[in-house]
Amino acid sequence: MSKRCRDQCDPDLPQKRTRTRDDIGPVDRLSGLSNELLLHILSFLPVSSLNVCQRLSHRFHALGGDSEIWKRQYYSQWVRPRARRLASSRRTTLPAKADYSPKVATWFDHGHLAQEGNWKQQYRLRHNWSKGLCRVTEVEFPQPPCPPTLIRFCAGVVFAADSAHGLRAWTTRDPACCLAKIHLSAPLEPSPTIPTALAVSQVQDKIEISVGLENGHFSLFILNLQTSQLDFQSSHLGCSDASITAMALSSPYLMVVSQHKDLTLYNLRPGSHRAEETEASEPCQVASLKADNIVAPMTLSLRVSSFEIVASIVYSFFHIGCGWSLGIQELRLGKDGQQLESRLATTVDSQYGLRPLQSRKRRHSAAECNRPPIDPGAPSIIHQQPPTSMSYSHPYLLTSHADNTLTMYLVVSTSERLFVQGGRRLWGHTSSVSAVQVTNRGKAVSVSSRGDEIRIWELEMAISSLSSRNFFEENGVQLNAGNKDGESEPEPGLGTIYEHLGSVKVEQDSTLPIGFDEERVLLLREKTGTQLLECYDFT
Amino acid sequence: MSSITLTSSDGVDISVERTTAERSVLIKNMLEDLGDSGEAIPIPNVNEAVLKKVIECDDDDNRRKTTDIDEWDQKFMQVDQEMLFEIILAANYLDIKALLDVGCKTVANMIKGKSPEEIRKTFNIQNDFTPEEEDQIRRENEWAEDR
Repeated sequence: MSKRCRDQCDPDLPQKRTRTRDDIGPVDRLSGLSNELLLHILSFLPVSSLNVCQRLSHRFHALGGDSEIWKRQYYSQWVRPRARRLASSRRTTLPAKADYSPKVATWFDHGHLAQEGNWKQQYRLRHNWSKGLCRVTEVEFPQPPCPPTLIRFCAGVVFAADSAHGLRAWTTRDPACCLAKIHLSAPLEPSPTIPTALAVSQVQDKIEISVGLENGHFSLFILNLQTSQLDFQSSHLGCSDASITAMALSSPYLMVVSQHKDLTLYNLRPGSHRAEETEASEPCQVASLKADNIVAPMTLSLRVSSFEIVASIVYSFFHIGCGWSLGIQELRLGKDGQQLESRLATTVDSQYGLRPLQSRKRRHSAAECNRPPIDPGAPSIIHQQPPTSMSYSHPYLLTSHADNTLTMYLVVSTSERLFVQGGRRLWGHTSSVSAVQVTNRGKAVSVSSRGDEIRIWELEMAISSLSSRNFFEENGVQLNAGNKDGESEPEPGLGTIYEHLGSVKVEQDSTLPIGFDEERVLLLREKTGTQLLECYDFT
Repeated sequence: MSSITLTSSDGVDISVERTTAERSVLIKNMLEDLGDSGEAIPIPNVNEAVLKKVIECDDDDNRRKTTDIDEWDQKFMQVDQEMLFEIILAANYLDIKALLDVGCKTVANMIKGKSPEEIRKTFNIQNDFTPEEEDQIRRENEWAEDR
């Protein structure tokens, strides 16, 4: 009650206090309360009011930004609804009341945030993602690069590789200045080399970059995040001199696919004691695949666990009756390179079988229960054209199509079998979707070529609706470029388009012109001859 | 049912039922420590009017599980601002969680949906920002505005 003592310093008798005060003028009783009590009051306020309170005075500015309050808000806004969804989809019983608790254990994959300080910032970031609010900055490539330019995005750094300027790196915090730049091939090689594949992977405070070249070589680089030093590591000849079409890097393993459909897996640092040596690389070819019907686009994924390496190749093929389908080849390899298992799964069953639940449910409710639930003659998902792009990040597999839709699959990989579940179309784009990228946390970003739009998807919600009764109208969130001085009048659910994206050009290789992390989406686009790197910042 | 006597800060003795008084964790602990000697318990931080109001507060804790304030509480809290803050302070001092929550929610409802200027006027809060500072904070917090 120390705060009250200040009020009571009045020499009058306590019960006379009010009389004398009223003579002096109105009293700020709210500010007379202790911080503890004010925080208690603020904890009952919604987010919008908290922000208003911060504008009252210096004291309220500090109190309204209190991290614990925002942590609570974050929890009730994002963590608890998600916990409920998980509970319903997995049919497990979570603690009946998933109440707020500062314990990390109850945060359902959001625990990594608990270490970070500013919860208001985290809330805001999440809020902006959900609303599609962001700041857009454009960076023009200094010199018009020789196409094809390859772009990768990792740990806040953008990497671009092209034959004229070699490998370049930018940090997204300051996209205007080039962080580092290096030639692609070994210094002694005179001929200009054309990069055809690019893969990056973060190892502690370093980023490993591997560039695949047209002549079948691949080079390795390391960027030190602290010193921004980009160093050439080594260069190697792949299994053939055919151009490298795709690469996946999950340090220390590198998977390379060449034009001849040869797949090779390398351990970049065989023997950990030699980790620092530059010439440590000792390519050990562990598997070779030959397949003639694999048509681009294809995508690779490499997962490394403590006892095995899982290499996945997702490719598209034409299935009579089912149209363009996807196949997944999953190679499970021991750490020593010994092949443990090779499994194959396709999306054909899923395209036939699992008709999206919601359509059936709707018909049931319309009293048409007699209709056979599944018509085996016609698959529910038919694509007459190959997918424009695909992205696989276990367990999510997402393809984009020219017919304005995305198709989402859930890949289930257990020790017994591999199968694809729950094919589902995602609607929302109003023109042909040209590129899509997904992370293993279920966040996906897609770009449509002529509709000038970017959409953000939370796939976890859509997945859980496959197995639960609720049907989520999942339209994705359209980006809303906030810094365009927008007097915005967003329609419910959708943002307003401020941005004319122009045409996004997708190369025929697997490199997508988009990338994103927790805070930003990056997009490479071409506008009247110049290439622009666009950064959509959600902070 | 036994009753006990509380002495307010202005020296007035108030008799209350023991169960009612024990909603206050402070009084409950005091009773446990002192034993029921029948003597009046002094409440030096709360005056008669507020103490009577606090005692009047309804007992049913179950009603207050929701974030909204129900009718009874709303009526109970139809007091002037001075009394409202006195009740909050008393509830805090006496450690009556349910009452403290109702009081704080009432204040929160007075803040909700208002502009900063309206809130300042309601509570007579001194604006100690410079116009530049205020403008900067307004821009920083634009993202969460209700639309």
